[in-house]
Amino acid sequence: MGKNERIVLPDRVYRVLEVLIGLGGRAPAEELARSLGKRASDIQRDLAELERLGLVKVIKDVIKRPELTPEGVEVLENGLPEVRVLNTLEALGGEASISELAKESGVIDKELKAALGRLRRAGLVEISGGIVRLVGSDRSSFFETVSDVVKGLKEVAEGRYPPNFGELRRRRLVKEVVSKTQIIEVTKEGALAWSEGRVIRARVITALTPEIIRSGEWEGAEFKEFDLSIEVPTIHPVRKHPYAYFLQRVREILVGMGFVEVKGPHIESELLNFDALFVPQYHPARRGTDVYFVKGLPRLERVSRELVERVKEIHEKGWRYKWSPERALRLVLRTHTTPVSIRTLMKRGAGEYRVFSLDRVFRPDTPDPTHLMEFHQLEGIIVGKRVTFRHLLGFFTELAKELGLGEVMFRPAYFPFTEPSVEGYIKHPKLGWIEVFPGGMFRPEVLNAAGVSGVNVAAWGIGIDRIAMLVLGINDIRDLYTNNLTKIRSTPYPKEVMR
Amino acid sequence: MPVVEVQLWDVARVANMDISLEELERVLTVLKAEVEEVSDDTLTYEASHDRPDLYSAEGLGRAAAIYLGKRRQGRYVVKDPVTELDISAAPRYRPYAFLAIVRGVRLDDEAIRQLFQLQEKLHLSHCGDRALVSIGLYDLDRLKPPFRYVAVKEAEFVPLGYDKTMSLGEVLERTEKGVRYADLVRKGEYPLLVDSSGEVMSFPPILNSETNKVTEETKNVLIDVTGTEPWLMLKVLNIVTTSVLERGYGRATVESVEIVGAKGVPERTPDLRGSVLRVELRDVSGLIGWVGSANDVKAVLERMGYSVEGLFKDAVVVWAPPWRTDVLSWVDVAEDIAAGYGYWKLRPEILPPTHWGREHILERMSSVVRDVMLGLGFSEVVNYMLIDAKLLRGLGYERFVEIENPKMVTYSAVRPSLLPSMLLTVKENTGLTPPLKMFEIGDAVKLVDGEPITYRGLGFVIANTKLSLTDGLVIVKALFRSLGAEVFLRPGKTPVTIHGRTASIIVNGEDVGLVGEIHPRVLSALGIEYPVVAGELILNDVARALGVGNVPKLSPKP
Repeated sequence: MGKNERIVLPDRVYRVLEVLIGLGGRAPAEELARSLGKRASDIQRDLAELERLGLVKVIKDVIKRPELTPEGVEVLENGLPEVRVLNTLEALGGEASISELAKESGVIDKELKAALGRLRRAGLVEISGGIVRLVGSDRSSFFETVSDVVKGLKEVAEGRYPPNFGELRRRRLVKEVVSKTQIIEVTKEGALAWSEGRVIRARVITALTPEIIRSGEWEGAEFKEFDLSIEVPTIHPVRKHPYAYFLQRVREILVGMGFVEVKGPHIESELLNFDALFVPQYHPARRGTDVYFVKGLPRLERVSRELVERVKEIHEKGWRYKWSPERALRLVLRTHTTPVSIRTLMKRGAGEYRVFSLDRVFRPDTPDPTHLMEFHQLEGIIVGKRVTFRHLLGFFTELAKELGLGEVMFRPAYFPFTEPSVEGYIKHPKLGWIEVFPGGMFRPEVLNAAGVSGVNVAAWGIGIDRIAMLVLGINDIRDLYTNNLTKIRSTPYPKEVMR
Repeated sequence: MPVVEVQLWDVARVANMDISLEELERVLTVLKAEVEEVSDDTLTYEASHDRPDLYSAEGLGRAAAIYLGKRRQGRYVVKDPVTELDISAAPRYRPYAFLAIVRGVRLDDEAIRQLFQLQEKLHLSHCGDRALVSIGLYDLDRLKPPFRYVAVKEAEFVPLGYDKTMSLGEVLERTEKGVRYADLVRKGEYPLLVDSSGEVMSFPPILNSETNKVTEETKNVLIDVTGTEPWLMLKVLNIVTTSVLERGYGRATVESVEIVGAKGVPERTPDLRGSVLRVELRDVSGLIGWVGSANDVKAVLERMGYSVEGLFKDAVVVWAPPWRTDVLSWVDVAEDIAAGYGYWKLRPEILPPTHWGREHILERMSSVVRDVMLGLGFSEVVNYMLIDAKLLRGLGYERFVEIENPKMVTYSAVRPSLLPSMLLTVKENTGLTPPLKMFEIGDAVKLVDGEPITYRGLGFVIANTKLSLTDGLVIVKALFRSLGAEVFLRPGKTPVTIHGRTASIIVNGEDVGLVGEIHPRVLSALGIEYPVVAGELILNDVARALGVGNVPKLSPKP
């Protein structure tokens, strides 16, 4: 602290110094605190701050003071027991039994004995056979002692040590109380700074303003302590749709596994949606209850004759029925994304590669919490000479791990275009085992239709919405496709998309 | 897939062994069926479409007995025909009929119920709901062979389940089946199955006759299939014949019937020879990633109902029974090897990729645009691609993909643009205090010269009490500034925006989208009470305009 320097004190600290100077510049901490309307413990930080600045000195001290015991208080109020016994004995005619004395004097039994002892030692009474008698001797020295005791007690009551403090303490009428205390004293420098008006009270800041920052007023200013228990207003961030967020995470996982994303049209021909996949034209999945047909648009034209011939052959050779090309060229809303895989095979042929697609498909349904007429499918193929069914199982296992779905169980299944086919199940904490991973190895007929040979193709088409519901904690599938901002805002991003 | 109901005791009766529910569930799992419900003695399961032999207790009992080692499936013996079926005068539009005879069955109520269930499930799953194949069973002893399948103008008989004679015309009008399947027959050329006395057996594919139906007294069963697809019919006939045979509990025999009057079809039916395939173990391990020794494979295949007729170090020759109509090639046998061995025992294996993964260019564009739109204070929403065709027309859209067989009017078209979805989004959120700023990145299908083309769009919308086209243009400009491109504007047009207050967005000379003030006619029709500005960018075009890359056209053309 340099000379002539201004000392800016926060309001609270300033008040402590101000009060201390008002108390004459020196006071025990308790007294100082009391004057501030606080407890000593409340001002310790302020005192430490003042001491650090060299404005006050905190002197630790031990204080001893005499104090009356409850017995001492009693004596001051009602007189010494020996005096009360002596008076009672006189009133009873100078002779009484001990029990009579106890009853009439009101002196309790324990003190009565001591009192009689003192009276006898002073030669004022004699006791025999339980009878106490007055002895007519000189009482002046006895009363002198009595008055010394009373005088001593009075001094103790006023906080002073009397000359006979030792004797009083032996008689347990007084005690000595020892207490630690802090004496707070303004230093010379402090007193000087104060008198020169160099100690300044800082302002309290509740909210910073450009003005405060620019002026430097904030220096040494006190920031109002924030009340964290008060509710703050709720606001909603603009953000990605939770479902879009989830789909993005799925894409990242697939890309991380080396898959290249492909896309196909939402309006497909039956040829690619069913026929190339070896689904016979009489298959129940091709009826109007399971497929949306396109109204009023012409059938596909100028389709490669080779493709139509290949597809015709697999049907007529495999299923042995009359295959209708007209039917195959009808347009439908794709019921799965498997035609996207077929398109990829037709375009890229044999080789070593893997692709995926993640887009919408359509099947006639009435929306309810578990059904929708459109949903997302995660479709993919792994193409290669050495690709096996076990690699497909490996893919499902890894995908489940990445999505945080846990253990996978595999069971035989049927899809017209794969052989062998599999359904992967995951264990749901409430629902038990649920089907989530359908897939298989494309049949030779399907590879023929696509014009591919010499490779195996592991394929799968996962209804990702169901998994999205599990991961996002959504119970109604319609909430995945919501345009309702209130619903979107109330769906948090799950930890599965964060890890 | 068909849901089948059987009685446990009946399955055990067919299998000729005690079967616990647990064992049966295990068998069903291996055979790709899924148990749906068990209550008392009734078991309900979903059979897979490729295993029509499991559509009734006969096939399930047989498969269970074989899988559990009680029975070994050997070749079927079919006796030579003693009678014939003449199909020379069959209707031209439904030209085929085949028969099979099973002698020595014992039927009770449950057996009849199962055989009926089998026919019904087959009709739906493999017979094109009777359009391609229709099945019938008769009490042979009430008929006089030989038989004829003919086209007639009219006839009379007592249809199954009725107590009076009806003409064929009446059957089509008055019976539930008649009304349902009337489209499958042609007037003046009705198909009819009759015996040598002229007694009507069946008016396929509508109804059989009441007088010669199968009852609990029936000992010998005649089975017919009629239809348009001979090979499919033969497969179905095999399933039904081998199932009826199970009701002889080991004592029934199959007898064939000579088919006369047609070319290009078998001379006698049924053909229960099954199929023989040579399966190379190397192919199996190449497909599955696992194969045991030839002996292991033999044991597994026999459990799955095959008979191994040749066993070599590197191959097996297997016979597939005639009821395994799904076995078309060695891959079908390979699946049975894997399933019979147990999928749970196949160790999943990781195949490392041979190339880097990559998102589709449209998804990368979408991610970038999404980030900018969020930065501009827009909330993301998701809408359905399906939309109400009537709503689209009301809004002024004329060309879009419409669904022929919608389940609900609300979802009867594919959206041709994201703008209608944006308007529905504002409508959905009218309860919230404006301003509202929302966007969607999604697909739509537009018709270009009648060709449906999928594209990826960005739709965005602002709704506020005070608003003009400027507010929308600000967003478009900010977006493209973020993408490093400058925007030029030209007057534009959409069905939902005000003419003269709509802008086409031009980037590097390419038209990439539109933004405009929504017409009050549209707003009031949707019950929206404040001004709305909406826009749509076609991200395929944005990618091309920015020189990011060309997105291949997504059309149904292969």
